[in-house]
Amino acid sequence: MPETMLAAGLSLRGLTKSYGPVRAVAGIDLDIVAGETVALLGPNGAGKSTTIDMLLGLARPDAGAVTVFGRTPDEAVRAGLIGAMLQSGGLISEVTVRELLVLAASLYPAPMPVDEVLERADLTELADRRTTKLSGGQTQRVRFALALVPDPELLVLDEPTAAMDVETRRRFWASMRQLAAAGRTVLFATHYLDEADEYADRIVLMAQGRVVADGPATAIKAVVGGRTIRATLPGVPDGLLAALPGVGAVERHGDAVRLTCTDSDLALRALLAGYQDARDIEVGGADLEDAFVALTSPATGVSA
Amino acid sequence: MNATYLRTEVRRTLRAPRYFIFVIGMPVGLFLLFSSLYGSGDQDGIAAKAWLMVSMSVFGAMGAAVSIGGRIAGERQAGWTRQLRLTPMPGRMYVASKAITALAVAVPALALVYAVGAVVEGVRLPAARWAEAAGWSLLALAPFVALGIWLGHRLTVDVLGPLSGALFTALGILGGVWFPIDQLPSAMQSVAKALPSYWLAQAGREPLAGSWIGWHGVAVLAIWTAIFTVLGARAYRRDTARA
Repeated sequence: MPETMLAAGLSLRGLTKSYGPVRAVAGIDLDIVAGETVALLGPNGAGKSTTIDMLLGLARPDAGAVTVFGRTPDEAVRAGLIGAMLQSGGLISEVTVRELLVLAASLYPAPMPVDEVLERADLTELADRRTTKLSGGQTQRVRFALALVPDPELLVLDEPTAAMDVETRRRFWASMRQLAAAGRTVLFATHYLDEADEYADRIVLMAQGRVVADGPATAIKAVVGGRTIRATLPGVPDGLLAALPGVGAVERHGDAVRLTCTDSDLALRALLAGYQDARDIEVGGADLEDAFVALTSPATGVSA
Repeated sequence: MNATYLRTEVRRTLRAPRYFIFVIGMPVGLFLLFSSLYGSGDQDGIAAKAWLMVSMSVFGAMGAAVSIGGRIAGERQAGWTRQLRLTPMPGRMYVASKAITALAVAVPALALVYAVGAVVEGVRLPAARWAEAAGWSLLALAPFVALGIWLGHRLTVDVLGPLSGALFTALGILGGVWFPIDQLPSAMQSVAKALPSYWLAQAGREPLAGSWIGWHGVAVLAIWTAIFTVLGARAYRRDTARA
């Protein structure tokens, strides 16, 4: 592919998508440079899969536009530039793994050799097994193999490691690293912060159909992976607590408050200094779901 | 048309247990059974054994054609057709491959019943008559292929299984595939002659007497093919429309 097309990367502009009354994607703008490995991180229902469907041309945006290396998603698919592993992508029966991959390879203009696909997806030993005789994790590897078949410039993976055990997961990511190192663009959706942190150059945080934070893994982790402070503290307005340095969001149940922090050390010092009657203080790791909720409140989004 | 894709489709279909039971096993078994019960004498000027042989062979071929519906529905449900939309293969190629596959796997089904007829039941015909019977049977499968494609895009696997079984049996009985319609009341005979299954069976039988189904029969088959194709195209478009 000409360098100029690659240089165009991926561009998602003003995307919105509703299913009936449900606003799955509520306005997304995103640019991805060729060669980047990007994680779409968010809880279930954040709009990750819908965004991916629009990127792949499987769903049509209500508004906005998508280009993949300067082309429409359909054109990019026809040119064999996109390999995708969907959450729902099933396999056909009455074929062996190798037969399935040979079949898939016959559909693309310049496929990756089937033996190489088998090796990269860690399937060489299972090549002659029928697709119906595979475990959940093995099936997942075959679906990864199908994504590799076109020898794509862009790999799109929707929660790729669901149903994989720890060892399979490790080998999967090792293979992904090689592919990314060869200059491919990788976009994967996950709801594991650790996975996003470890394997992505950049994390795009989604909640309620929007991008709530976008930046290098370290910056995002500082926000989402921040800690929470729990304390018993009657009679202090939430607004005052939210104004403490290092505090992202405040949640109250009766006398119990929970502060979601961007910097828990700073917040704790301020809390102790300002509110002598704070009791039962606990500092703990953030709950990812809570962090997403905190981030969707307008003032706390980060940009890097 | 992609040869690798087509070859894999045919191989997959031949491997399916369903194929052996309904397309190969049942027609051969029923032929041997009916032949031992009603195999003496003539029917419509044809040796009864030959008549039964062709009847059971088209019954199997009809099964092969309609069964692609179940496969399409299954592949839609599994998400395979969605996966295929991420390949450069156009959707209509998927449908065309299914249609060609249905005809391809009908050939061994016909051949096996003919072989049992020739070897076990002693049916003797000139070579040209065998070929004409097979050729006409395949041509007359067109409406059933279109029916399978329509139902496969319209229904789920759970509904399609029992429904196609019932439909298949009804078409076989009402269309006189299993028993000659001259034993039926005249109203039922009129119904039979409007059905594609009757003309499919006749398309295979007529060549045995050196004849053919005539333009009337061709017209009935063509009309059913057109109806199912229009319904199938509409169901296909609705199924693959991007939300």
